[in-house]
Amino acid sequence: MTAIRAPFRIRGGVHPHDSKSATSALPVETAAVPPRLLVSASQHLGAPSKPVVKKGDAVLRGQVIAEASGYVSSAVHAPTSGTVKSVTSMLTATARHAFVVEIEPDGQDKWVEPLHPMADWTSAAPRDLVNRIAAAGIVGMGGAGFPTQVKLSPPPGKSIDTVIINGAECEPFLTADHRLMLEQSDAVWLGARIIRHILGASRLFVGIEDNKPDAIAAMEKAMAGADGETGVIILKSRYPQGAEKQLIRSVTGREVPSGGLPMDVGAVVENVATAAAVAAAVTRGVPLTERVITITGECVKNPRNLLARVGTPISWLIEQCGGLTGSVGKVISGGPMMGVALPDLDVGANKTTSGVLAISRESARQFGSEPCIACGRCVIACPSGLLPCTLSEHIEAEQFDDAERISVLDCIECGACAFECPARRPLVQHMRQGKQTVLTRRRAREAAARGKEERK
Amino acid sequence: MDPVIQHTILIGMAGLVCGALLALVSHYFAVHEDPTVEALTAALPGINCGGCGYAGCAAYAKAVATENIGLDLCKPGGAETVAKMAAITGRTASAREREVAVVLCNGSRERARQAALYNGVADCAAADLVAGGGKSCRFGCLGFGSCARVCPTGAIEIADSLAVVHPELCIGCGKCTGACPRKLIKLVPESRSIHVLCINRDRGPDVKKVCDVGCIGCTLCSKACNNEGIKMDGFLAVVDYTVPLNSPEIATKCPTKAIAVRPGVKKEAAA
Amino acid sequence: MTELVLLVVGAVLVNNFVLHRFLGICPFLGVSRDIPTALGMSAAVVFVVTCAAAVTWPLQYFVLERFGAGYLQTIAFILVIATFVQLVELVLKKAAPALHRGLGIYLPLITTNCAVLGVTVLSIKKGLNFVESIFFALGAALGFGLALLIFTGMRERIARAYPPRAFQGTAIALVTAGLLSLAFMGFAGLVKL
Repeated sequence: MTAIRAPFRIRGGVHPHDSKSATSALPVETAAVPPRLLVSASQHLGAPSKPVVKKGDAVLRGQVIAEASGYVSSAVHAPTSGTVKSVTSMLTATARHAFVVEIEPDGQDKWVEPLHPMADWTSAAPRDLVNRIAAAGIVGMGGAGFPTQVKLSPPPGKSIDTVIINGAECEPFLTADHRLMLEQSDAVWLGARIIRHILGASRLFVGIEDNKPDAIAAMEKAMAGADGETGVIILKSRYPQGAEKQLIRSVTGREVPSGGLPMDVGAVVENVATAAAVAAAVTRGVPLTERVITITGECVKNPRNLLARVGTPISWLIEQCGGLTGSVGKVISGGPMMGVALPDLDVGANKTTSGVLAISRESARQFGSEPCIACGRCVIACPSGLLPCTLSEHIEAEQFDDAERISVLDCIECGACAFECPARRPLVQHMRQGKQTVLTRRRAREAAARGKEERK
Repeated sequence: MDPVIQHTILIGMAGLVCGALLALVSHYFAVHEDPTVEALTAALPGINCGGCGYAGCAAYAKAVATENIGLDLCKPGGAETVAKMAAITGRTASAREREVAVVLCNGSRERARQAALYNGVADCAAADLVAGGGKSCRFGCLGFGSCARVCPTGAIEIADSLAVVHPELCIGCGKCTGACPRKLIKLVPESRSIHVLCINRDRGPDVKKVCDVGCIGCTLCSKACNNEGIKMDGFLAVVDYTVPLNSPEIATKCPTKAIAVRPGVKKEAAA
Repeated sequence: MTELVLLVVGAVLVNNFVLHRFLGICPFLGVSRDIPTALGMSAAVVFVVTCAAAVTWPLQYFVLERFGAGYLQTIAFILVIATFVQLVELVLKKAAPALHRGLGIYLPLITTNCAVLGVTVLSIKKGLNFVESIFFALGAALGFGLALLIFTGMRERIARAYPPRAFQGTAIALVTAGLLSLAFMGFAGLVKL
């Protein structure tokens, strides 16, 4: 089956310069194991994992060092063999504090034995495969880090008919997924079929933006002769094409309802790197301990795509690329649109760290808090169909009930509005503050209602 | 008859008719209201701060009259209000000691270090979501004044990016404790003057790295008072406000000056 | 029929009580903070003004005129309107407590609202018959509600905007009211009465 153009379009969106040329032609190189690893116990969305090793413990690669502490949680494995130096609360690559296991590698990189390869996954029960994925600590590697086993276990009553593998990589600068699709297209395709098998879906698509024709060709080649309703969907290059709900809209034309999840419209989206990790976990029994990271930006001397261990310090990664040059304004973990600026470079990369971006002082945008000039460009840009200008004004005036009424919780924090805003308003930060406050107040309301019930 | 008299009578009659009508209607449509609720509402300060946990003074008054709720929940009112309410309801109650808020951080701009340049929204909750704002210390006061904005009496001042409560203005409603994203503000008995102004739970060297006046967990203070009054919670000294602590000289023991003697001393000095 | 429609349109738009005759400014500025309360106030005004017209018209023609006491119109009307509003409040409190809570403080406020007295006095002055005076009152009240709601919407937006410091609060509200009044002048000549 040949590639087809996406039958639908996303709403709104922006078109930043993609700036991918620095690294898109560079093959993925395997980075060495750094002299120390800072492995966060909270690399996913949901309950932080519980560290199960202590200072002085010897660990082997693939050994569980932090176990899942709830349903929406994920295990973390040692990225190499060595000694645990400390388990402390530290800053991580998400710019949040979490428990971090510091490991000093012994240089032998010995795997924990035995691994459990699976010869024939096609006849395995979906439940076993999901357990395998959970044991491998796989999370959504596109950035959000939602535990994959949760996504692959839809509650009874929800049937999934479409699996979309997300190779859009709409964030400027990043080329990690692009290179992965070129170099490991078979692994991605294998992972995609495993996911389809688990969910029992009939349709399986790989969505790729049209600025990556070589990746489209590579995936098509890998998928040649595939069974069932499959295909590469060529997406228009537009940010945020790769956001979950937007991708579903482009590929299927279905709209995820307000406050709903993709599974409400029978779709599941997984990143290409997640698919490759699923393939490795199922067929080779290998837990997720490394990922491709793009280290780029105008202030990085030699931008590269590196296959690095989880927990590799960002500062060490930058050193591998020749260090920083020029007047650095910001070092961002992730892409320029949704990534977070790091206050400290001695933080370990996470399973979700798709890129490290060093931009100059001139390019680092300084936000002000000037008044909204009501131009409406953010409204046109918003892929969720919200009114970012009005929302931010409500939040600034602390009118959180009004913000809730006009759906602040449907904001996906993609940053398209702030990208467009001529008044340089910190719109995304307002949205995050608003979402946080609305959720806190909602929880307080529910708790009060429960309290009232109990008193009666 | 003189028209003036005639018309005076006319209007007078109209007034009488209207009055009578109102009297009749108010008799037949009378809604029984509990007079104690009204009396209790009048006895309360009427500033509707919500510190008692009810939606305003009237709601609390209603709860007291109908649900046998304690009389001592009104923090701004203090002993006077409790006495008034006790007289109205015929119940006995003693006032709790008045509480005032204290910000458990002393890391002003000069004393605490900055990790990064923060140029986002000037709001504590928003800054806390972005890598914890510019301050190195992840426990310390962000100084954007979210607490000051919710304070009904303007008792919180932001000086040198640090919030400071003026105890004489504080009514102890506790709104600021909820507004602080770092849970730095605590309600303490008014008479207490010795506070450990730090909640950093990291180890000493880590604290030293981010702040000059943080608690480094040296345990000198807790030893000085035989572990009564100030207790160690991991690497952090915490004042136990249920135990009396009357020795201001304990503050001098602290090598980092994290223990402060704050105004509000009047009662303690007299005792 | 056309006459009645014109009467209502004229009272709503052309001779708007708030923006053209400048009556009822107190609630116009006082209860224009948010839409729900403004709606409650508008509904209360529509109800009270229409009923007041229905009460005062017979009072004027069957009582005051008969006794030659037309000059006592103001006192008599105030008396009757105040009584009427109090009656309505008492009855509502008993019969429809939810509605009473909804209208809350606005009902007694309207008692002393000059717009109510203005409407009743004007409809007598214009020499309208009973039906006409009711429709006139309805139009006036709807006009009040319209002006109040428009103004409230604007103030809600001003609340999240940044006017210069000297203009913050009541100052910018008054400027807005003035501009709104100017805008309503555009309706002049729409209806010839």
